[in-house]
Amino acid sequence: MYGVISDVKRMEIHDGDGLRTTVFFKGCPLKCLWCHNPESISFEPQTARFKQKCIGCGTCRGENTEETAKNCPADALVFYGRRVDTESLVSELMQDAPFFRESGGGVTLSGGECLAQPDFAVSVARALFEKGISVDIDTCGFVPRESFERILPFTDVFLYDIKAVDPAVHAACTGRDNSLILDNLRFLSKAGAKIEIRYPLAKGFNDGECEKIGALLKDMPGVRKIKVLRCHSYAASRYEALGMPCPLPDSKTGRPDVERAVSALRSYGLPAVNGMDGD
Amino acid sequence: MSLTKTYDELSEYAFKRSKKAYSEPSVFDADCDIIEYMLSYCEISADEQNRFFINVGTEKLPRAVINERKTRFTDPDEDDVLRYGTEAHAFNGETDYSHTSAEWESVLSLGIYGLRERAAEYEKRETDPAKKHFYARIKGVYSAALAFMLRAADCADENNKPEMAKGLRALSRRAPETLFEAFQTVFVYYFLQHKFDGTYLRTLGRLDSLLYPFYAKEDPAFARALVADFFREAERLKAPANMPFAIGGSDERGDCIINDLSYLFIDEYAKADTVRVKMHFLYAGEKHDGLLKAALDAVRRGRNAIVFMSDKKIRQSLEKLGIDPSDAAYYHVVGCYECGGRGEIPCSCTTHVCIPKAVEYALTGGVDMLTGKQIGLPRVGEITTFDGFLREYERQLVHICRCGMRKTDLWERHNKDIHSAPFLSGTYLSAMEKGEDLYCGHSAKYPDSSLNAIGLGTAADSLAAIRKLVFEDGELTLSELTDILKNNWEGHEALRLRVKNKFPKYGINDDKTDALAKRTVALLAETVSRRPNAKGGVYRLGALSITLRWEYGDHCAASADGRRSGEPLSQNTSASFGADREGVTAHFLSAAKIDASDTPNGAIIDIDLHSSAVQGENGLRAMASSLIAFFKMGGFCVHYNVLDADVLRDARAHPEKYPNLQVRLCGWNVRFSTLTDRAKEEFISRAEAR
Repeated sequence: MYGVISDVKRMEIHDGDGLRTTVFFKGCPLKCLWCHNPESISFEPQTARFKQKCIGCGTCRGENTEETAKNCPADALVFYGRRVDTESLVSELMQDAPFFRESGGGVTLSGGECLAQPDFAVSVARALFEKGISVDIDTCGFVPRESFERILPFTDVFLYDIKAVDPAVHAACTGRDNSLILDNLRFLSKAGAKIEIRYPLAKGFNDGECEKIGALLKDMPGVRKIKVLRCHSYAASRYEALGMPCPLPDSKTGRPDVERAVSALRSYGLPAVNGMDGD
Repeated sequence: MSLTKTYDELSEYAFKRSKKAYSEPSVFDADCDIIEYMLSYCEISADEQNRFFINVGTEKLPRAVINERKTRFTDPDEDDVLRYGTEAHAFNGETDYSHTSAEWESVLSLGIYGLRERAAEYEKRETDPAKKHFYARIKGVYSAALAFMLRAADCADENNKPEMAKGLRALSRRAPETLFEAFQTVFVYYFLQHKFDGTYLRTLGRLDSLLYPFYAKEDPAFARALVADFFREAERLKAPANMPFAIGGSDERGDCIINDLSYLFIDEYAKADTVRVKMHFLYAGEKHDGLLKAALDAVRRGRNAIVFMSDKKIRQSLEKLGIDPSDAAYYHVVGCYECGGRGEIPCSCTTHVCIPKAVEYALTGGVDMLTGKQIGLPRVGEITTFDGFLREYERQLVHICRCGMRKTDLWERHNKDIHSAPFLSGTYLSAMEKGEDLYCGHSAKYPDSSLNAIGLGTAADSLAAIRKLVFEDGELTLSELTDILKNNWEGHEALRLRVKNKFPKYGINDDKTDALAKRTVALLAETVSRRPNAKGGVYRLGALSITLRWEYGDHCAASADGRRSGEPLSQNTSASFGADREGVTAHFLSAAKIDASDTPNGAIIDIDLHSSAVQGENGLRAMASSLIAFFKMGGFCVHYNVLDADVLRDARAHPEKYPNLQVRLCGWNVRFSTLTDRAKEEFISRAEAR
């Protein structure tokens, strides 16, 4: 089984419990304005050109390919879209098994949207599960129900994004309707899954959704944490390098905004935390 | 009328007395006379803030005497290869009158008074005249110390410090009984050894276990205040390369040592505004996990002068060296990371070897690229395979190690004419049993010497690059590569960057490259460990560079790993900065392949973390569990920098905004604002890489 990934990041502490390795799957069905991983949006392989690193050596002859990126001496040309098979990815991930064991961590499949490559995601999750490694699924929820049914048995925690409850707000921020996302969330909750909600907060875009999210999640079984994440514009240089127009809103979301959202959610009795503090 | 003498007057006496010893048999006698004279006449001042002890300005004098005596000996520099090799920074060999620990158990259980009484007892019992004389002189310097303490008590009274005066008077006639007196004893002893004896004392001991009996009798709030004051006063000692103390460790059976005082030390250390006081955390197992988290929490808050060491690995390394298990259990850390068994004088910085020079000499047939001198061995036969190259590298490495140790041996034969350590000897049981000085008579139970190998990561990466460029890809011949390096990569920037950024490196858990580092350390151990020295002891190995990686890097030509001529070498046992592309866990996995039971002088991994990677409860959990996992895999020692490039850049531009920002330079901490521009730049680029 083969899949396409954009990156693997080790010793990650923000994507679930303990020390984790996060696999970024390439391709996502949503087009969020604030996307921090632009290299994971398209399902197609891409190269990014970081001009400030280029030494003008001419090794790439101006060509943007996997091969020229591999040979770029200065790391100015970067390839996103490694095609990898389950077995070799899993053995790469297993390197950190001693650290997973010691910390209660594991592997997080993220993206992009990992469940947009459902066969590959399930095959990786199953292989890890069989080796006793915890697997978390970081998902936007916009995938067929069946994909959740298939991944559920091998999943420890779902890191589940809720960006808005109001369909119009959701569509404005992500380009998609959210009824499938909300249905899938209810399904997971009923199925007894452990869920950590991620609420990416962009002031002036979805900060008005806070109360609605509180009302939605209140009394929903399985929700053990709600992490409010601050949208920022650190990824702007990557959009430029990828040659993509940068949709990042200049929302100036700050710590007080996140803290306000956290306390609003807590007023619903929800275990909300500030993602800026790392927990 | 003042009875004190100025520094110049003391100095005049010391040099005159020292020179007399050149025609007499004993430097030891001269040193005892000089110490007694200094103790009687040195000027004493009472720092307004000090609670435990006064201050003196004598420490430069014994060092000056040592240096003057050393000028009499020229034979270590008369051998051409040794001279050229030292000039080229391929190796060096010297004496080491630093890196010691007192036998703190004796110091704290007997006190200065009791150490004098013990020497008197030995003197009374002894019949051999030479030994009797030795004991009499030890008794003499300790008697002078007691008189000095009374003089210090008067000074304390004059400065309205009744608590200090009272303690000193009590300690002049008995062992310490209270926690205050125990701390005071630590300071008094530090002064005696460090500032009069001239033998640098490099640890205040395992304070949680040493002081616990005193602490147990004390009011906890009073004890806490004492600990806080202890840190402040230790900071004011302005000790070179920082003043360490240790907590944790294990007893002879291997059980963790931990008590309330361990927690109190971490707690107060985290709050103390100190740069120069550093802590060795001796992690011995699960019972230390809570304490470990508290220490790591201090590290991520910027109190990063804490070194984390594996108690188990230290004991193993000492036992492998031949130290009795009972002595290995009660080791002490005598510098940045170097561990000595009880009864050992490890002389942990006698010999240094620059590993990348062995790669260079394998390329050039032993000729140094920068000095043009023949230092390594001439090449024999042709090199046609990587195995052949590796064997040539190893032949050169063994050669420069032997040169370094030969130079050390030449120096250490002169110890009896250069330095003695009456105060330190007075605490060592073996010195007292043998009736001889630790340096003049090499009376330690283990009178050892050390070799520290610098630039392991640079060397392993260079070998890996040579394998790939020359023997696997056939992109260059050995002589083409040699020419490129001689010309400092000029005209080959794309190649240099490709090697630097794309080639396999030590530190990314690549078995094939890590094997080169592992094999190098194994060969070093075979060449160095347990090799007899000139003192009746053996050599010990360390894979440590400390900040010598800058100095040795200055003198090291371009290397095949993409490093330019003059750039610093890799630090300690760590991957080259920037080469650890896969992060901390991969770095640990690579390092764990090296057999650290061969390196009692330390195998140290320097970990840089971005502040966002250690946030929250999960960040602390990740720090602690990755460290514990590394120790379980066989790791020896780790220390951390938690860096944020934005903060460092701002601190460079506006130092006044960050008066307290500290970075861990190597085995010690410094304020960021005091770094050279070059070092600041390196820290910023390290932070950016995170």
